[in-house]
Amino acid sequence: MSSPKLNVSDVATLARLALTKEETEKFTAQLGQVLSHMEALAKIPTDNVPEVHPPDHPVLRQDIPSPSLSLESALSNAPAQANDLIVVPKIVE
Amino acid sequence: MSLAHETVASLRRRLAKKEIKSREIVTDLLKEIDAREKTIHAYTHIDRETALKAADEADLSRPLGGVPIALKDNLNANGDPCTCSSKILEGYKAPYDATAVARLRQAGAVFLGRTNMDEFAMGSSTENSALGVTRNPWDSSRIPGGSSGGSAAAVAGRIALAALGSDTGGSIRQPAALCGCVGLKPTYGRISRYGLVAFASSLDQVGPLTRTVEDSALLLSSLAGHDPRDNTTDSRSAESFLAKPTHSVKGLKVGLPKEYFIPGMDAETEQAVRAAADWFQKNGAEIKEVSLPLTPSAIAVYYILATAEASANLARFDGVRYGRRAADPKDVLDLYQRTREEGFGPEVKRRIILGTFVLSAGYTDAYYRKAQKVRGLIRQDFEKAFQGCDLLLTPTSPEPAFKLGERTQDPLKMYLADVFTISVNLAGTCGISLPCGFTKSNLPIGLQLIGPRFGEEKMLQAAHAYEQSHDFWRRMPPI
Repeated sequence: MSSPKLNVSDVATLARLALTKEETEKFTAQLGQVLSHMEALAKIPTDNVPEVHPPDHPVLRQDIPSPSLSLESALSNAPAQANDLIVVPKIVE
Repeated sequence: MSLAHETVASLRRRLAKKEIKSREIVTDLLKEIDAREKTIHAYTHIDRETALKAADEADLSRPLGGVPIALKDNLNANGDPCTCSSKILEGYKAPYDATAVARLRQAGAVFLGRTNMDEFAMGSSTENSALGVTRNPWDSSRIPGGSSGGSAAAVAGRIALAALGSDTGGSIRQPAALCGCVGLKPTYGRISRYGLVAFASSLDQVGPLTRTVEDSALLLSSLAGHDPRDNTTDSRSAESFLAKPTHSVKGLKVGLPKEYFIPGMDAETEQAVRAAADWFQKNGAEIKEVSLPLTPSAIAVYYILATAEASANLARFDGVRYGRRAADPKDVLDLYQRTREEGFGPEVKRRIILGTFVLSAGYTDAYYRKAQKVRGLIRQDFEKAFQGCDLLLTPTSPEPAFKLGERTQDPLKMYLADVFTISVNLAGTCGISLPCGFTKSNLPIGLQLIGPRFGEEKMLQAAHAYEQSHDFWRRMPPI
């Protein structure tokens, strides 16, 4: 049972996932079932209920730079690197 | 007797008296691993030489000095792999220590290996690992639970003394229940999440899996405390937990939420948990029925909020800075799409899609924001219950360990297995699972105690008192 609202293909594009045709079909059916289970939430009265966003008191710090990862360790897992930079496919033609 | 069969607390006492050396503990553990790891497959990596060297150099004056501890494979430990049991992090070597790892290191612990998990902590059976399944040490045809299945199976299977796990919807407590060991999810904000690979940032918590409640308290004492690198950690200072065990539950008010004892639940589980409640009552606690009316909506709320947060947290796995990168990408879009398609397993993809959907234009109000409001109501349910109770007592899992492969084609059924653990993450309070019995077929049954936010001490005292009056914790799996 699929949900009419969830177009798996479109959402996969947003999420940068290149799904196969089989995956799209399978997930449509499975997630349709999951979404049906969630419809029950609509019946719960929540007028005047604030949204919860932990933590209760967000803590900010002073904008003072402090040591972090060294350049070497930050680049250590890069799939391709040159001149202290990470090499990626061309973005702008 | 093999040192691998002892508890952290008893080994610490012997190490301090110089009766034994840390190297002997590591050696005994490695012997057990050689005997049983082939069957259980709890570990993704074991580093024998580094562990033995660290054992020789361990500072035994520290609280966990010389104690080998296993780490779930989603905790960054400097220089080590951190695969999250995913193909997308093949080859990645952590350039730093997670705070939880650093604190254990400072406490003198020795790291022996990294444990298997559901990929990116998404699952309840460890079947979603890209590195193979882990088997329950009590019955190798069954799941160990998840997502910290490797940690639980290792501790229960006597191939780890203790392990760290992570719990977002029950991923420490449920595998602890299914494997017959102790699993603690601390209050949200108790232990730093810095360096834990994020799944759902408002729900994730690091926690210990151990043989006993005393060991759990020992580890918690070293792990807890404010961290400037995680601004969701609480500013109150770290405590020493269970320093003076009372062995008493007299006067404790224990609530049994009626929504957690439902018709059709596994009969042996219900019997064992009610017997535990009877023990509390016979020993001076007051048992009262309470209600958490929003329990039936917790799964829906969780799978909206956790997947939404996960869709954002997993956006960083794009093949650019670390991990797997698709070969010969045509352009940047191809790089992202193919890297993620090849690197993520089906459950991770399902959750990213669901999470992206509930945050997408036109659906945010109906799903994400609605779920946040119901989360607020769930939190209030718990606050109300704790006005009249010190602790809540529930089963951890609706049933004992099911068979491998039984639920892999039915994601919704798999999700529903989290029903008793998930609300605790949504409310941000603390929970512990400990053994309270065994089924006729010798499968462990877990009891869950739930405390209010920052109520770990009372919860640990009660758990310890119950545990030490029973022999469940001593029973060893047949494997």
